[in-house]
Amino acid sequence: MALNPQQAGGTEISDAAPPTFDYKQQGPKGARWWRYVGWRYLVGLVGIAFALMPAYFVLLAALSPTSTLQGSQMVPRDITFDNFAALNETFFWTWLRNSLLVAGGAAIVNMFLSAMAAYAFARLRFAGRRVGLLTILLVQMFPQLLANVAIFLMLVNIGQYFPAIGFGTLLGLFLVYLGGALGANTWLMKGFFDTIPRELDESAKVDGATHGQIFVKIILPLALPILVVAGLLSFITLFNEFVLASVLLGQADANQTLATGLTRFIGDAFAQRWGPFAAGALIGSLPTLLLFLFLQRYIVSGLTAGAAKG
Amino acid sequence: MSSEPDLTTRAGKAGGPSRPPGTYADKLAERLGSGSLIGFVGKLIFLGVVNAGWLYAVLTLLPFGAWLPIAVVTIATAALDFIYLSRYRVPLKFLIPGTLVLLVFQVYPVLYTGYIGFTNYRPGNNLTQEQAIDRNLRDSVSVPEGATRYASVPLVEAGSPEAGELALLLTDPDGELFLGSEDGLESITEAQIEGEGAERVVDGRFEVLPLRIAQDRQDEVLALSIPVEEGELAEGVQADAISVQTFNSAAAAVQALEYDEATGNLVDTTDGTVYEPIQGTFTAEDGSTLRAGFPVVVGFSNYQRVLTSPAIQGPFIRVFLWTFAFAILTVLFSFVVGLGLALALDDKRLKLRRTTRSLLLIPYALPSFMTALIWQGLMNTSFGQINRMLGTNIPWLTSQAYAGALPKFSVVLVNTWLGFGYMFLITTGALQAIPSEVKEAANVDGASGWQTFRQITLPLLLVAVGPLLIASFAFNFNNFNTVYLLTGGGPPIFGAPIPVGHTDILISFSYRLAFEAARPDYGLAAAISTIIFFLVAIFSYIGFRRTATLEEIN
Repeated sequence: MALNPQQAGGTEISDAAPPTFDYKQQGPKGARWWRYVGWRYLVGLVGIAFALMPAYFVLLAALSPTSTLQGSQMVPRDITFDNFAALNETFFWTWLRNSLLVAGGAAIVNMFLSAMAAYAFARLRFAGRRVGLLTILLVQMFPQLLANVAIFLMLVNIGQYFPAIGFGTLLGLFLVYLGGALGANTWLMKGFFDTIPRELDESAKVDGATHGQIFVKIILPLALPILVVAGLLSFITLFNEFVLASVLLGQADANQTLATGLTRFIGDAFAQRWGPFAAGALIGSLPTLLLFLFLQRYIVSGLTAGAAKG
Repeated sequence: MSSEPDLTTRAGKAGGPSRPPGTYADKLAERLGSGSLIGFVGKLIFLGVVNAGWLYAVLTLLPFGAWLPIAVVTIATAALDFIYLSRYRVPLKFLIPGTLVLLVFQVYPVLYTGYIGFTNYRPGNNLTQEQAIDRNLRDSVSVPEGATRYASVPLVEAGSPEAGELALLLTDPDGELFLGSEDGLESITEAQIEGEGAERVVDGRFEVLPLRIAQDRQDEVLALSIPVEEGELAEGVQADAISVQTFNSAAAAVQALEYDEATGNLVDTTDGTVYEPIQGTFTAEDGSTLRAGFPVVVGFSNYQRVLTSPAIQGPFIRVFLWTFAFAILTVLFSFVVGLGLALALDDKRLKLRRTTRSLLLIPYALPSFMTALIWQGLMNTSFGQINRMLGTNIPWLTSQAYAGALPKFSVVLVNTWLGFGYMFLITTGALQAIPSEVKEAANVDGASGWQTFRQITLPLLLVAVGPLLIASFAFNFNNFNTVYLLTGGGPPIFGAPIPVGHTDILISFSYRLAFEAARPDYGLAAAISTIIFFLVAIFSYIGFRRTATLEEIN
């Protein structure tokens, strides 16, 4: 590694604790550098290799002409996009669309419902406010997926009367996903709303604004960052959701989300469809990966405020 | 609250400057709790949609006599109308939409799960008692050997071939004509038929089903069964119904079962067998059962089976212990790896820290179902990349040895890979939040690097990330995706009569009992879900108390 220790200690990141002493004053130069800085690069490299290894293999398999893993090399020689083209003959694009519609739609509605509730908890005082907040904390400890049997039977029953939102419909799954609207996100948003100065509401109130107007015209625009974060977290969670989708969507191929659909891809004849699967995995990963990398800073603050993932 | 000051702006927005302040619409809007005309109109549209939906729902539900659903939608709609048309109840206006979906799709399913756990709900008995009796009666209709055959022509209500009621024009072997509809059978004469062939109109009410429609309504036609009263057919023909056999033939059919209202039993009239509803399944003395049944409350029997039935108890205890081990090991390993990386990389002298951080976050940013499936491929014994690279043939995901120790290791490894990015993220944040003066002071006092870490950094860190570790444990306790998409719960535990594997955790175990077993058992699955509910509640409680203690130390 060509590194100049004189330049180490870059200025691009300012939020770190400063080093407590200057390693340049102790011992011979190379060893000193290695002892205080160098090994850190090694750890970082090993960590990155561990993190990226599967992604690299998937990239290889997606671009390699043979559709099995056996034929793929460590360094690609013939790059081809056949596997991506092969996706057109499958339901992949339908699944991606289903996932984006159901997860995206539910995330947007959830975000809005959650924001409304958060406004009530942050700005209004009413009997049962504390209990309400605690209840939300309590309820979200019992994820919907635990009740999968009950939700399945419920949708089968609903389907007897209203086939359009019953078992085997994307609309039904969408409605079920709305059940998670009030939860960690409500707390996240309430925390943010609390930081918006109340003087803004007060002056609007003096001007005759109702709570509805304050909410829509003052709070929502100011809270846009946290709305985006909550919406994204909710989207990522729902995009990943497998149990309820597999239980509620039935068997029809055109009806699956990406999570349940791609599982079928490799379910039976894994070796044959690894190439298209890898291509699909790359495309399907892009939405959440890009969102995550671009909005890392915001998402991190949201994550550390309560939501957790494996 | 006075609305005087902004009346003019409102009027300007809503209808132009010429509108005088305080029009009737504005006053009405204000009385109904809306600040502006736009808000008021929006609210009216919203409530209009809600009430239209209510009307549609009630009209759909009424023919079924589904009173409970009708009550639920009516109460919900009334609540929405009441709250949004009132000037007061502002908090409820903001809370009610989220609360309604929460009640319907989260709270109710949780309670319903508890109830199902006390029943013997299975796919074979998922009907109401009435429906089950009806289904069995219909299923027992069969065409005996040598039954009278009829030539039949499918008919449809004249004028509406797409949706009209279907009927049959039947000709018996003697050439007698009948018109069969859902209401029953009637004798007709040639004179009642007008026209020829496909143009025929019967009794002025029914026309021949056009061929282009017949394709779409084929299933309906083939399912037609015309109820028959005694004495309606030609002498000597015994039949309870005339069933469609093919598109142009039907046959006299008899219904073997009869419902005995006094005892609630179903009786086979051909051989006198009595089917008694035992635990919701119609069972004969010799043990044979009818297909359709209904669920009954069986008390704690599902829980008893979990604890005492040898077929279930053994696998359950294994799964139970492994669930804890899986969640604890995952949190531990991903925390250690994440913390190690955070400690190593949290140094101002390093270049490219931001890039490194982004790259380390990739496993966490990828959709977890995707990465679990990818790892499934990489760890495949015969063509997985890992074995290819090592030149080995290790059954990473399928080895049976030592109670599936290797697949268990693989599952934890993959889950660590999935989770270390998150731990890296939160520990980096927490490390940077620890004031450097504390560490400097320790340094000045002569503490070694390890001592500083052990005595100062780690305790402070744990206070900060403790709640997140507990949340992570709770999440991984139910981390269905990693387990199910990587190994499907397998390799299977030999000898177990239910689908259960060495890497199954409680939630995947419950899922497979309900949706993958040869004889799915919703009651047992729901009982196990209920057990998970209680476990989660207990360690959440402990977790919160522990966090409070940690904070007090600080």
